[in-house]
Amino acid sequence: MLFLRALAGVGRIRLSAALLAVGIPFMVSGNPPLRSSSAQPPLHTPSQIAWTEQTISAASSGDAVRGLVIARRCARCHGAEGFSSDPLVPNLAGMETLTMWKQMNDFRDGKRKSAIMSIIAADLAVKDYADLAAYYAMLPTYPDPFDTRSFPQLAPASTHMAVAARLVEGGDGPRGIPPCQACHGPISHKIGAPSLAAQNSNYIQEELEEFASGHRANDINMPMRTIASLLTDDEKQALGAYYGSGLGSLPVGASVPAK
Amino acid sequence: MRCRKLKIVGVALALTFVWFCIRFPYEMLAVAEKIFGSPNQVDPLTLHLHGEFVESNLGTAVEPDGSVTVRLIAQQFNFVPECVVVPEGTRVRFRLTSADFVHRFSISGTDHSLEVVPGHVSESQFQFAKAGQYKTPCHEFCGAGHYDMRSRVLVVTRDRFVNPKPQERLGCAFP
Repeated sequence: MLFLRALAGVGRIRLSAALLAVGIPFMVSGNPPLRSSSAQPPLHTPSQIAWTEQTISAASSGDAVRGLVIARRCARCHGAEGFSSDPLVPNLAGMETLTMWKQMNDFRDGKRKSAIMSIIAADLAVKDYADLAAYYAMLPTYPDPFDTRSFPQLAPASTHMAVAARLVEGGDGPRGIPPCQACHGPISHKIGAPSLAAQNSNYIQEELEEFASGHRANDINMPMRTIASLLTDDEKQALGAYYGSGLGSLPVGASVPAK
Repeated sequence: MRCRKLKIVGVALALTFVWFCIRFPYEMLAVAEKIFGSPNQVDPLTLHLHGEFVESNLGTAVEPDGSVTVRLIAQQFNFVPECVVVPEGTRVRFRLTSADFVHRFSISGTDHSLEVVPGHVSESQFQFAKAGQYKTPCHEFCGAGHYDMRSRVLVVTRDRFVNPKPQERLGCAFP
């Protein structure tokens, strides 16, 4: 019964107490107490949505057929096939499910301001957002080249486009502007970011200006407000023209105009 | 032979007990963190909703004791806010966390760099000896836009630095 004697031995208990005492200072110094500011600024949340697993499953569990029925109300502005005729109204064909769902929620919560859309969003249920998102995500992004309706047409390449192509594909390192396609596709996608292929040029330009001025502030952790505020007016216009021409959907490198 | 076996068991048990005594405070710390939460643990998905890294709390803050704290979020593919202003020759405390992947906040021209990991607040202290503009590129590959991910730290002389009000945070819109 050596081990019982060892446990009962006073010396061992002293040893363990000493070891415990050695451990306590480490325990305390491991996590310095947070000296928080006495006053935090008033809370402003860009959006109520956070990309948790529950959110993602709620947003992506829509019924596209039900969405088709609801989308008849949207067709007047956003087009029957998701291509809008008003240049300031976004095309919804092929829109990312999560993006669409988040924007509808933001319209309802007043986080993204629009006189028309906030009324429509308040009129629909959250389940309807998911259905609409599922429907619009299903529509083809590329307009049919033989269709003669007012789909975005490919614009001729110019030096103006070269400015945009550089920003989209390579960004601008010295100014800290990441390439658009790193989040908006086609090379990689960030959660919540819309694919911009064949979007309306005036819409893109308008939203960049809104982000830069802070009128639109529903981007989580402000990536777009940061980037848009670094762009010049010419660049915003060029980016609008670039995506409006449908170039954003082409494979990498194809959109650089030949010199 | 039986006695020797018992001895081995006894020594093993005694060693286990000693090991327990050493580990005990750390285990208790882990339990306490689970129950009460740690000041350096954050949920990367809900940074914008509550807590230390809501967007109105980002930027340069001056604490009641006069020390300067800079709070930033690192995310694909920028640091937010894009530019912060700090005084020269003062110890600046950087507190950063990531919203998505691992980044590294390195200040060019200095030996300062700080690993930024989602779910954890990284903290470091640094004193800028010279006024000027410092670029802070991301120094840990984080994706397609990594090479353009950088922000700025604007270091101004002590007399040009105006202490903000307790509820104010300084960004780049500094005179």
